[in-house]
Amino acid sequence: METSALTRRSFTGLGLGGAAAAASGGVLAQTGPTSSAASGKPAPLTTAPVSQAGLGPRLTLHAIDNFHGTPAAGMVCDLAWREGDTLTPIKTVTTGANGRPAEPLLTDAALRPGPYELLLHLGAYFAARGVSLPSPNFLDRVPIRFRIRDAGQRHHLPVLFTPWGYSYYRGS
Amino acid sequence: MAGISTHVLDTDRGRPAAGIRIDFSVLEGETSEGETWRLVKSVVTNADGRTDQPILAPSEAKVGQYQLVFHVDDYFRDRPGTAEADIFIDNPVVRFAIFDPAQHYHVPMLCAPGSFTTYRGS
Repeated sequence: METSALTRRSFTGLGLGGAAAAASGGVLAQTGPTSSAASGKPAPLTTAPVSQAGLGPRLTLHAIDNFHGTPAAGMVCDLAWREGDTLTPIKTVTTGANGRPAEPLLTDAALRPGPYELLLHLGAYFAARGVSLPSPNFLDRVPIRFRIRDAGQRHHLPVLFTPWGYSYYRGS
Repeated sequence: MAGISTHVLDTDRGRPAAGIRIDFSVLEGETSEGETWRLVKSVVTNADGRTDQPILAPSEAKVGQYQLVFHVDDYFRDRPGTAEADIFIDNPVVRFAIFDPAQHYHVPMLCAPGSFTTYRGS
């Protein structure tokens, strides 16, 4: 089998052998003629998972583009404190090449218990990648509502999305 | 069939989520000050996790931005065996567009105390 041509999708079928090969050299990272930063398409996937076990209280985000099968790079996200329908902006961040903002959304004292809303600029994200979608698209600016109940804990917020749906959950 | 429908599933228990209030709104205007949403109606899911009537009837479907707010907090809080500390999703809202009024928009919502999923269903 020609490992250099394997895509990420075929990688899942390799089982333990493939995982071991990926861990040793990363040769199975996504490749192919459609992956080019210059064309606005996602770059080849070369990032490894990140464990945040043992870190102090913080709120972190990881955005995954399940349409392209890559981290969501360059997505604008507005974080706000939410009281009912009233939003108080906290900050706006942009995800990096690994789908994560450069810094945690909140850390330590800035992490207050209560209701938050993270607004994902999903329509703009796909438009920037040249994905052809209806106008107006089914999903455009996607609000993610969640509640921090214990500010002494670490909170990870993964968001998985396509132009037609999304998931979020309390991660780790 | 056109219009909007939904279906709420409790994926933690593997069953429909009954008795959940859903607020359905339409975007009426948007300025630099913000968006103005008009509440069209509030409905409650039945034993099958669906609403007895469509959220939006075919005859009322128009191109525009719509919103469903799912009041799941009370549902989880009242559910036996759920610790309030574990409820992470916070009355989630789904905002979506009808881009073609001739099509149907089924917008299911799958939830557990710590997770939320929605998609354009069928």
